[in-house]
Amino acid sequence: MKKLALNLTDVTKTFQKDDGYITAVDKVNLQVEEGEMVTFLGPSGCGKTTTLRMVAGFELPTSGSITIRDQDMTNTPVNKRKIGFVFQNYALFPHMSVYNNVAYGLKARGEKDKDIKDKVKNALLLVGLKDTENRYPSQLSGGEQQRVALARVIVMEPNLLLMDEPLSNLDAKLRIHMRTEIRKLQKTLGITCLYVTHDQSEALSMADRIVVMNKGKVEQVGTAFEIYSNPQSLFVADFIGQANIMHLEVTSLKDEMIEVNTHNGGVFTARCIVPDHIDSSVENYKTGKEAALVIRPESITVIPYKGGEDSFNAVVSSSIFVGSHVEYELTLANNEVIKAFIPYTNKMRIFSEGEEVSFVIDPVNALFLPRKKKKS
Amino acid sequence: MSTTKVPRTRSSMAKREPVLFGTLVAIWLIFAIFIFLPIIRLLLTTFVVDGSISFANLIKIMGKSYNMRALYNSLILATAVAVAGTVLGYIFALAVTRTSLPPFYKGLLGAVTILPLISPPFTSSISLTLALGPNGMLLNALGISDFSIYGFLGTWISETLTYFPVAFMVITAVLNTMSANLDDAALSLGSSRWRMFRTITIPLSLPGIGNSLLLLFGASLADFATPLILGGHTFPVLPTEAYLMITGMFDLKGGASLSFLLLLPALLVFILQRVLIGKKSYVSVTGKNGAKSGFGKLPLSLNIIITAVCTFTVAFILYLYAIILWGSLVKVWGVNNTVTFEHFGYVFAHGKKAITDTLLIATLSTVIGSVLGVLIGYIAQRKNFFAKRIFEFGSMLNYALPGTVVGIAYIIAFNQKPILLTGTLSILVAAYVFRYYATGIRSVIASLAQIDPALEEASFSLGASTVRTFTHVTIPLIIPAVLAGMRYLFIHSMTAISATIFLVSVRWTLLTTRILESMTELQFSQASAFSIVLIVIVFIVDAIMLALMKWSTRKFTQQEAISYEKIGA
Repeated sequence: MKKLALNLTDVTKTFQKDDGYITAVDKVNLQVEEGEMVTFLGPSGCGKTTTLRMVAGFELPTSGSITIRDQDMTNTPVNKRKIGFVFQNYALFPHMSVYNNVAYGLKARGEKDKDIKDKVKNALLLVGLKDTENRYPSQLSGGEQQRVALARVIVMEPNLLLMDEPLSNLDAKLRIHMRTEIRKLQKTLGITCLYVTHDQSEALSMADRIVVMNKGKVEQVGTAFEIYSNPQSLFVADFIGQANIMHLEVTSLKDEMIEVNTHNGGVFTARCIVPDHIDSSVENYKTGKEAALVIRPESITVIPYKGGEDSFNAVVSSSIFVGSHVEYELTLANNEVIKAFIPYTNKMRIFSEGEEVSFVIDPVNALFLPRKKKKS
Repeated sequence: MSTTKVPRTRSSMAKREPVLFGTLVAIWLIFAIFIFLPIIRLLLTTFVVDGSISFANLIKIMGKSYNMRALYNSLILATAVAVAGTVLGYIFALAVTRTSLPPFYKGLLGAVTILPLISPPFTSSISLTLALGPNGMLLNALGISDFSIYGFLGTWISETLTYFPVAFMVITAVLNTMSANLDDAALSLGSSRWRMFRTITIPLSLPGIGNSLLLLFGASLADFATPLILGGHTFPVLPTEAYLMITGMFDLKGGASLSFLLLLPALLVFILQRVLIGKKSYVSVTGKNGAKSGFGKLPLSLNIIITAVCTFTVAFILYLYAIILWGSLVKVWGVNNTVTFEHFGYVFAHGKKAITDTLLIATLSTVIGSVLGVLIGYIAQRKNFFAKRIFEFGSMLNYALPGTVVGIAYIIAFNQKPILLTGTLSILVAAYVFRYYATGIRSVIASLAQIDPALEEASFSLGASTVRTFTHVTIPLIIPAVLAGMRYLFIHSMTAISATIFLVSVRWTLLTTRILESMTELQFSQASAFSIVLIVIVFIVDAIMLALMKWSTRKFTQQEAISYEKIGA
């Protein structure tokens, strides 16, 4: 196994707010290998930025430990950690030229003028900025400012590159372009990178691994594929991509397979996920109780109404043709709404609103997850 | 591995941020010596008789009808000045923000109102004496012989002219932030221009009016120089009474007790003002789009009144300044009108020490005060620490107290060992620093609030130390605010007198005290010449500082909109 670039052990942060305490980050554990790119994904307020700021040293954890390259850095001040931080709004020094912005850290480190000059030039070349050394941040476009912020950090050759939603201030097109560039740069330099975002396509497309966070806790860590196809919790299933969740009564449990009652008297069997972490907020599967069936909209096939036991029956409540596929909203008898995306093929029958249809779910692409405990 | 460690939030600041900790300790120590010690000594002198707490001194003071009249006069005068100054300031503010007067005229209004702000506080008293005093120029011209400027009337006029520019600035700011759409809405709903003015403009500017009333009340209450020159024996007020009791009768206890009477209303005003500002005005600030669409026009009759009042006031102020200039150039005021430069000759021959002393003291105060102001403002805005509220209150205390109170507290505190400072340069500098660095602190705090902490974090994360970050990132970004504070400090260190009149000595003297001496010796021409020299010096330095402020921001003014804005969070 490669050397660990970062090791977080039970990292917890509580903030004092009004008269109480808020746990922003709750016992986060994470190991990051050298050269890995890890994105932190989650809704706002999930603790992803706080975690990143603790790794940087802007915040000190309330408990737990942070190890960078096998050195305990839990209490080390920011300026001794050798990390590079790219801020959401870039935080370029407005009173300094591009050159002085990029040279800032090298000067603080006390390097020789000549070395500084070479390094700054290289860094600016690397991010694709030429002839901007004497300009001021106010004279640059948003994308250029972003590049300067990157150059300012990579010129320091940091142990860790930390990025806090660095692309959220750019327009959509530039954002997608910079995404690829940052990833390319990260691979070229072989630099370990932690990247916080709330944009899932950004998180999925850039990372070796993704950390999905919710309410201060890590919900799941894994590759884009793992997280999409094997969500470990209802939150992850719902947060990543689109997912239909049906609550169905369990009739029998066999190893990793669950059989449930469909609404029309039939049965349906699919594999189930037993979360690897023990979570008290989750109910175990039990016969006679409901389990949550997670189905991606693209795993559903809509067919003309047939009413048998081996399919689900519903009424089309919305039918939208978007070119590559048809997006249906199907309302079940119990008023649950199921989304189905059917790839469009020539001469395919498109069902219209109000029509009664049936749909089948491919068990291979369906998944049972434990339900959340109801609050009593 | 899973053992929970002790929460680190409790780890001591001394270890975590040694530089900050050291600075804090040093500042607390300075506060203890120059702010808390004097005020405590003042209270002890007032309330301790023969080693036990007693109200005897206070009762003795209040038993004398003359003192009670001084208290009454002080409050009446302060109220009158607050009301008149606010009305005048409001009219000027309306003229600048709500009328279609030509731009050059508005510029003139702005320029003329700056004059009283940068002049020594008794400039208008001197010129009023020259115009309306015995043998006054205006009286002679009008043929009035039985008129006395001394007393309530003269003091009131003089203080109103001196302080209304403050009201003007405060109210202008509020009038400018109002949304013009409200005027449009009122007019479109069928209200008349008078009704619009009465129901929209005035109610929405109430916060500005309230703030202005408090500021002017406090300023008048504390004013020492004006009543000393114009009050005369018929109109005693607390600051002059306290001064005379100490310098004339050497009664330190009596002076301390009188200044205690002065301290109470002053502190009350200070606290009221903080509450008022803390609540934030309910003016609808909707970016700058309000100002662009133009405010509704005022009724014609009001326009005429505003134009008349402004023109008269500006003419009168210019006349007063012209009179001082004239007074400094004639041989003997009112007797021999031959133009001569002999008074300036006198000033440079015999007043040279006063000029160099004043400049030295003002420069030292400005430098030391600015450094302290930046440190205190930075710490108060960016850091959290034990007893922060007391820290902030303490830093502003000397500013909130009337100068006379501070002056008396300083002689009581520093007249004896272990800290014997009377007669030294340091006591004068300290008096100015802790009274007038307040503006610097406030502008630094306001400026820092505009700067995203991410800029400092960026510096830390690039490996820079706390100190390097402060000197290379924070300071350059707040330079305009620092210069604004320096400007205020320098002007007041050159011109203020209420506290330092108690602290001057043979070794260290000030231009302002020379002016006062000349006035009491009825050497009007000398007083005028001293005043002119002082005003010119202040004016030049002020212009330099203003130019520096513009120059220091030239590089990144465009940037402000982008980088200072807090995004996300």
